[in-house]
Amino acid sequence: MSDRLPLEGIRICDFTVVWAGQTATMYLADMGAECIKVENPYIWNPMTRAASPRINGMIAQMLPPWIAGHPTDPGPRPWNNSPAFIQVLRNKKSFTVDSRRPEGLAIVQQLIRISDVVAENLALGTLEKIGLTDDTIRALRPDAIILHMPAFGRTGAYVEGRGYGAHIDSVAGSSVLRGYRDSSPGDNTSIFAGDYWGGIHGAFALMAALRHRRRTGKGQVIEMAQVESSMHMFPQAALDAAWNGRAQGSVGNRSVEGFVPNGVFPTNGPNRWIALSCRSETEWRAFVEAMGSPSWATAADLGTREGRAAREDEIEERIAEWTANKDRDDLFHALQAAGVTAGPVLNAKDAAEDPHLAATGTWKRLPATEDYPEVDWLRPAYRFSESNVDLREPPCLFAEHNDYVYREVLGLSDEEIAKLRDAGHIASTFTPEALAGG
Amino acid sequence: MDALEGLTVLDFTSHIAGPYCTKLLADMGARVIKVERPGGDVSRSLPPFKDDIPGTERAATYQYLNTNKESVVIDLKSPAAQDLVRRLAGMADLIVTASSPAQEERLGLDYQSLSAAGVPVLSITNFGHSGPYRDYRLSDTVLYAMGAEMYSHGLADREPLKLGGTAALLQGGAMAAVAAMGAIHAYENEGTAEEFEVPLFTVQISNIDRRSSSILGYRFSGRIQERPLGASAGIAGGIYPVADGYIELTASAGNYWRRFVEMVDDDALRDPKWENPMIAADPSAKEEADAIVYPWMLSHTRAEVWEAGRKAHAMVAPLNTGLDIWEDENFRQRGVWSEVDHPELGKLPMLGRPYILEESPWRIRSAAPCLGEHTRAVLAEAGLASAEIQRLTAERVVA
Repeated sequence: MSDRLPLEGIRICDFTVVWAGQTATMYLADMGAECIKVENPYIWNPMTRAASPRINGMIAQMLPPWIAGHPTDPGPRPWNNSPAFIQVLRNKKSFTVDSRRPEGLAIVQQLIRISDVVAENLALGTLEKIGLTDDTIRALRPDAIILHMPAFGRTGAYVEGRGYGAHIDSVAGSSVLRGYRDSSPGDNTSIFAGDYWGGIHGAFALMAALRHRRRTGKGQVIEMAQVESSMHMFPQAALDAAWNGRAQGSVGNRSVEGFVPNGVFPTNGPNRWIALSCRSETEWRAFVEAMGSPSWATAADLGTREGRAAREDEIEERIAEWTANKDRDDLFHALQAAGVTAGPVLNAKDAAEDPHLAATGTWKRLPATEDYPEVDWLRPAYRFSESNVDLREPPCLFAEHNDYVYREVLGLSDEEIAKLRDAGHIASTFTPEALAGG
Repeated sequence: MDALEGLTVLDFTSHIAGPYCTKLLADMGARVIKVERPGGDVSRSLPPFKDDIPGTERAATYQYLNTNKESVVIDLKSPAAQDLVRRLAGMADLIVTASSPAQEERLGLDYQSLSAAGVPVLSITNFGHSGPYRDYRLSDTVLYAMGAEMYSHGLADREPLKLGGTAALLQGGAMAAVAAMGAIHAYENEGTAEEFEVPLFTVQISNIDRRSSSILGYRFSGRIQERPLGASAGIAGGIYPVADGYIELTASAGNYWRRFVEMVDDDALRDPKWENPMIAADPSAKEEADAIVYPWMLSHTRAEVWEAGRKAHAMVAPLNTGLDIWEDENFRQRGVWSEVDHPELGKLPMLGRPYILEESPWRIRSAAPCLGEHTRAVLAEAGLASAEIQRLTAERVVA
């Protein structure tokens, strides 16, 4: 294992918010970039450190756990223990400054001068309003790489559009493809696939631009409209439209690639489901055998994909009858051993306790802080043989690195630091002026 | 100059995840030499097809995932293939595989065999190289079921739901491309030849689309994210029918509510009572709001709702189909669509740049390759004499 990391020496001045932006910079921080999160103690960016700055145990219980599964007592700083956001802050550093005031802006400008990357996905025009345009950023740092991740683009008819993942997914064509086959999209519950996609692609574009700069000395501006990158998540539907004039709708849990059977079936016990796919004739035969070769399944016409497609409803009913009284996990292992692609629908607890994830080093236990208990946290999804790409530094708590950034990174004197502290730029807690804002 | 110019990738992957990883690299300028099995990548045989006519060169999935690549057909099961793999590896700056651990060893695509090339080796796997599920199979649906937040997607009284298309596999490929870029930086900066794996299962467990937070939320609070009883949210919010389809709306208390009211422009909704966050718990209030909101929605088209929404900066958006995206003038002008020139299919529309890089733009240099289109040229470049290539062709080692 080497001490050096792939992006060592790269510094990011990070204005990103919500999921897509904050994960884009997290992937670079995992790789060793120094990612410095610029936090304004007087502005609450919605869905960036928590659902609300005023969340307490009672309110949290009323909201779904993915967004409000804080510790039972969220305490005075819920922005340091939201499960939806705290973990995308791993390997990063947090400092506070009110960049709307001249001396605060000067601090941000000083940081940009020594940064390689400036990343943001704020509402269009937010940075420009405080005087940080592409031109002014490049005047400070001529070879800067500037990443913008607007929802619907920086130009064109939709620039004034506003939205989170659910809205981006809708425009990108994701939402109509993911409901039940037999009910309207009105029954679709929210998901946010575009956030995950956007973060990954933002990181990829940044790292490609970093290579370009290494070879040419040139920085550049990257515009990644999240809705446009998200369209690449559904190329089959996009090209079926462009090539064949077809508007695909939802196929439920069936396969757009024509695999039959492909679905999710009930097993013994409440809310325990198994997913399975037969993607070849070999897998289908293995599945029939695993079911004990019932006569319905050995019918000659079911030996081909087309034959099974013609009787898909019936096949699904028969499978559901067969799976209904089986133990989910026994069935999972038995089917996999028989060469059938199958797996349990894992809930959060199942996943947290999954033996394979534990055995393969997916988690790392971090010590408790004043804001959260000692629990296991996700490491990056990949491991390198030489570079220590890992959860190296715990998620940055709000304002945690003020001293480091002001003193070591920016090189300010005690006197300058005292002045900025008196002026409220260096703060230790969040005091949004308009708590209900956004 | 292309961002990844001068980078050669030797690509042993097939179907979706691996090819999407190397497509991201290829579309930014890397040279990708794709090794296909005789008969070709399985995605050549999967629908949809151009004009709904099946054919090796007609599959949308293959054509999309393999732009800017070269196709070399090698039967890796043949003993004579080992020398070819070694020669091709000598041309590469990065090697990418996506086989099961057992297959890797059978085909000589394991780390031990490939590390002799002295370049980074990325293996995209289902579950990794160790652990109890090491040899298990995955499809897009099973991957989303086990790894991602399928459990809480859908309605409480019905079965859990996957995403559309093959999104989970594509996400795995995209994450692998990020890892690959890290390895490329380490290799070019320091000469570090990493071996690294991207298990698709772990990529989904890390999915920011609620999975990672539902797991941490469970650890913090002991609560398990369940499927909701219905899709609506608060006084107004969720998916609404409109005159020609559906829209998605967020109008939670505060600014979002006020922008929504500005969009609908109805005085009854300007009553301060709606600003009380607790009002959402009152079913009669919900009914009262619905009586205003539903008729407004149903009397507007998606385009009209979105236009009014953009003016008010309301959190609202239309549900588009692929056809809507194809026909959208704004997206066309912005460059969402591109074109490829395919030797058999002619000029074809293709999804265009996912991002705009002003100095080193995403671009299509060539359509997806025909099966074995580059076998001879690449093998010659790898130092094989033409008689040798002929012999290997006759012996069906290459095609």
